[in-house]
Amino acid sequence: MAQPLVKKDDDRDDEAEYSPFLGIEKGAVLQEARVFNDPQLDPRRCSQVITKLLYLLNQGESFTKVEATEVFFAVTKLFQSRDIGLRRMVYLMIKELSPSADEVIIVTSSLMKDMNSKTDMYRANAIRVLCRITDGTLLTQIERYLKQAIVDKNPVVASAALVSGIHLLQTNPEIVKRWSNEVQEAVQSRAALVQFHALALLHQIRQNDRLAVSKLVTSLTRGTVRSPLAQCLLIRYTSQVIRESGSTQTGDRPFYDFLEGCLRHKAEMVIFEAARAITELNGVTSRELTPAITVLQLFLSSSKPVLRFAAVRTLNKVAMTHPMAVTNCNIDMESLISDQNRSIATLAITTLLKTGNESSVDRLMKQITNFMSDIADEFKIVVVEAIRSLCLKFPLKYRSLMNFLSNILREEGGFEYKKAIVDSIVILIRDIPDAKESGLLHLCEFIEDCEFTYLSTQILHFLGIEGPKTSDPSKYIRYIYNRVHLENATVRASAVSTLAKFGALVDSLKPRIFVLLRRCLFDSDDEVRDRATLYINTLGGDGSVVETDKDVKDFLFGSLDLPLVNLETSLKTYEPSEEPFDINSVPKEIKSQPLAEKKAPGKKPTGLGAPPAAPLSTVDAYEKLLSSIPEFANFGKLFKSSAPVELTEAETEYSVNAVKHIFDSNVVFQYNCTNTIPDQLLENVTVIVDSSEAEEFAEVLSKPMRSLPYDTPGQTFVAFEKPEGVPAVGKFSNMLKFIVKEVDPTTGETEDDGVEDEYQLEDLEVVAADYMLKVGVSNFRNAWESMGDDFERVDEYGLGPRESLAEAVNAVINLLGMQPCEGTEAVPNNSRSHTCLLSGVYIGNVRVLARISFGVDGPKDVAMKLAVRSEDEARAACCNNILLKCKVFRKFLQNNLRSLDPLYYWCYFHNRISYNHSRTN
Amino acid sequence: MLLALLISNSVGNILVERYHGVPTEERLHWRSFLVKLGADNLKGAKNEELFVASHKSVYIVYTVLGDVSVYVVGKDEYDELALAEVIFVITSTIKDVCAKPPTERLFLDKYGKICLCLDEIIWTGILENTDKDRIKRLIRLKPPAEF
Repeated sequence: MAQPLVKKDDDRDDEAEYSPFLGIEKGAVLQEARVFNDPQLDPRRCSQVITKLLYLLNQGESFTKVEATEVFFAVTKLFQSRDIGLRRMVYLMIKELSPSADEVIIVTSSLMKDMNSKTDMYRANAIRVLCRITDGTLLTQIERYLKQAIVDKNPVVASAALVSGIHLLQTNPEIVKRWSNEVQEAVQSRAALVQFHALALLHQIRQNDRLAVSKLVTSLTRGTVRSPLAQCLLIRYTSQVIRESGSTQTGDRPFYDFLEGCLRHKAEMVIFEAARAITELNGVTSRELTPAITVLQLFLSSSKPVLRFAAVRTLNKVAMTHPMAVTNCNIDMESLISDQNRSIATLAITTLLKTGNESSVDRLMKQITNFMSDIADEFKIVVVEAIRSLCLKFPLKYRSLMNFLSNILREEGGFEYKKAIVDSIVILIRDIPDAKESGLLHLCEFIEDCEFTYLSTQILHFLGIEGPKTSDPSKYIRYIYNRVHLENATVRASAVSTLAKFGALVDSLKPRIFVLLRRCLFDSDDEVRDRATLYINTLGGDGSVVETDKDVKDFLFGSLDLPLVNLETSLKTYEPSEEPFDINSVPKEIKSQPLAEKKAPGKKPTGLGAPPAAPLSTVDAYEKLLSSIPEFANFGKLFKSSAPVELTEAETEYSVNAVKHIFDSNVVFQYNCTNTIPDQLLENVTVIVDSSEAEEFAEVLSKPMRSLPYDTPGQTFVAFEKPEGVPAVGKFSNMLKFIVKEVDPTTGETEDDGVEDEYQLEDLEVVAADYMLKVGVSNFRNAWESMGDDFERVDEYGLGPRESLAEAVNAVINLLGMQPCEGTEAVPNNSRSHTCLLSGVYIGNVRVLARISFGVDGPKDVAMKLAVRSEDEARAACCNNILLKCKVFRKFLQNNLRSLDPLYYWCYFHNRISYNHSRTN
Repeated sequence: MLLALLISNSVGNILVERYHGVPTEERLHWRSFLVKLGADNLKGAKNEELFVASHKSVYIVYTVLGDVSVYVVGKDEYDELALAEVIFVITSTIKDVCAKPPTERLFLDKYGKICLCLDEIIWTGILENTDKDRIKRLIRLKPPAEF
């Protein structure tokens, strides 16, 4: 068969494969650079060598100090050439080499000469190079030229000087600030780019002078801005001025008209900048938002991916604060789910998940299912997190959302992604009781084929806690026991522990569990065998190891009663010796907790990421801490612990916050103290509490802290007695009292003698909301109806003029201290009415549900109709008893209302409460 | 700030790499991240079709032009829209210098000129020139035509 003809083009293709830099070597190029020293310079050849040097530098090759110096000196010789192309290369090369301060002097004179050259372009380039390599001393010498250059007629020269100014402002701010008159003049330039650079520099020079920035913005918003880039800068500075002016009045917001006008600009960049600025205005109203959302909506269907991305990214942000404003764009966003650009698709989905309502969840999930298969893990994690929040918002939809999570759990994915799904399922199981059984089964199925040891062990641990509490614990055993056969030693050991937990907690399963545990005695791994032996001997023991069933459970599954951090520290400092490690020597005080809380505000619980053995939940940690103090032992069960209340300002010598622990007939204040002075040691630290403004409280004991070294937080406690079950309130003033001792910072030695000192702290208040636990319900309507209206109480209140409906709703939620359900804490913009569903448990374990309807009457007057239902634990309790509890709750409400001024004002002085005792009378 | 400009060939070898305000130890991470981003998404892309992504608080706009891929990374005022402007200037200038969307060979043949153009477009993290005709004159040390 004849060979195909070789065309000429094929030769050229071969040539195209061949790189001009093939086999380039630094050593050889440095040799070639010697041509720069030739007396007869060949500009073409020199340019080629410079290109090779640039190629090397751009490939990440670095020159040694000697090499760089050698090349730099050689390059400076090229100033002798008059070839323009070569000169341009030389400028670039010097910038790339960034010579050191002692070498710069070699080129300074050449550059200064160029800077005064008649050829404009020499001037511009010399300015750029000089400013790149210069230091402060040289800068003062050339300052005069630079100031002239800023107002040069040639826009390239002016821009070179202005951009140099932007860079030099970082290193020599004092000098650059002196140029502000020239820069001000350049802002008025007719050259678009000069104006852009001048505006950026002028703003940087004056950024700390609010008035000057405001004047700048005022004059430019009235004048002409020539380039879209400069217009974008102006919009940014304008929003800064609006933000700093602090005006939140609607209707006459300064510069709003300017921003709104920019929405009609011809450059897309400007339109976006203005839309973004409007959406980010403080307290933006929906009237202000509408035009911005409209233009963003148009861009959602743009053919340019950058515009679609920018639009959906902005709308995604808006959806976080104003979900209702974005709902109009939902249809456009749904079409973006199939966008080729996965970033756009993910943003669209997460926005839809935020703005969707209960009825659209199923449809949305269908679309997401198709989408999930072709995106990367990092995007999938974002979607999973959004679905988790959606499920918590609409608990009734848990079935379809849980199914979705379990389906994606079965598909391929990396560790982080799988962990995000498992964490979500765990959180849903914890927060939505109805979802527990199906969720646990999904997790069981997952561990049947899970490649991640960490996740398997965590799920097994979680199963051990939740599984025995389900209606049919036996159905989980198969999944757990399978692990003993099929997995690695770590997972096998976890499975043995989980089996033992089922045995210990479910009596009916005990004999069968024993059979399984005995089989584990023949495992090849020591740890697995050891655990099995321990569990068999203790759970089925003859009393020789531990005495009672309770002891067994405490010993095996009870917590260590000490913070793991302390245990870890003690174990690290323990040196192996004859003497065994004594667990009683581990301190029980939780040292780092208050600090950790401060460092990670608003950190959400992370499902399995925080297994119970590791950091305990805050409430558990408090419970453990308090139960470890014998003086508090007879206070009974802890009802509630408040969030820490700061009693000192930030950055004071001693930082103190307080946590209020509520018991049935006692209240304990836990003062978390930190000493921030390195050369001080505080001893015998107590808080002196004056409770004269809290009549129902009587101090029973104060537990001082022995010592408080620098930067190691510690706690001191004060306990009070109060009438049993009564939500007593009051104000307490606090004084920190201690003995202060000097510490030598070099040796760490403390002086023997100390001085007594006091430090005034802020007041602490016990309010009625402290007696209410935030406990949500998964389905409010069901809970409400199942509680029945037999024990319902309906009251109406006039709340008087409020800033907005949302603000009134928030205030009432906060003062009731109850858990908002089904996302009803969010009030849509411009609503005239809103219903908020709240749930909680009141002291004495009384379940309380509240349905509060708010309405705006007149311009700003808010009226509230509060319907409360409460249940008796036994249900059969007599009506009087319930009424009594309602009365207690009522008192609680009144106490609270008093604490909110306008409410109090209206409720009590104007006597505008109208009680509609619907059924209770 | 324009944090990075990266130009690679079709298989991800680096042709030009410039960073501004990116610590040296992070550069390698950025290089591999960008090249992977291109490998995942640029296959079969049309010339100058823009792709966009965000990573933490920075934005990335990238595209393909002939045999080379161009990536620009920015933060703050250099968001996706400003970067689209920057990448447009870069691609139109490269096309201008090479007279067409370049093969790798053509790009390397014009390497010196392209470096000069990039120097005119981005100067230590700030966009300086946006007009390809002006840039063409500036690299030959000729004043802008309108002046």
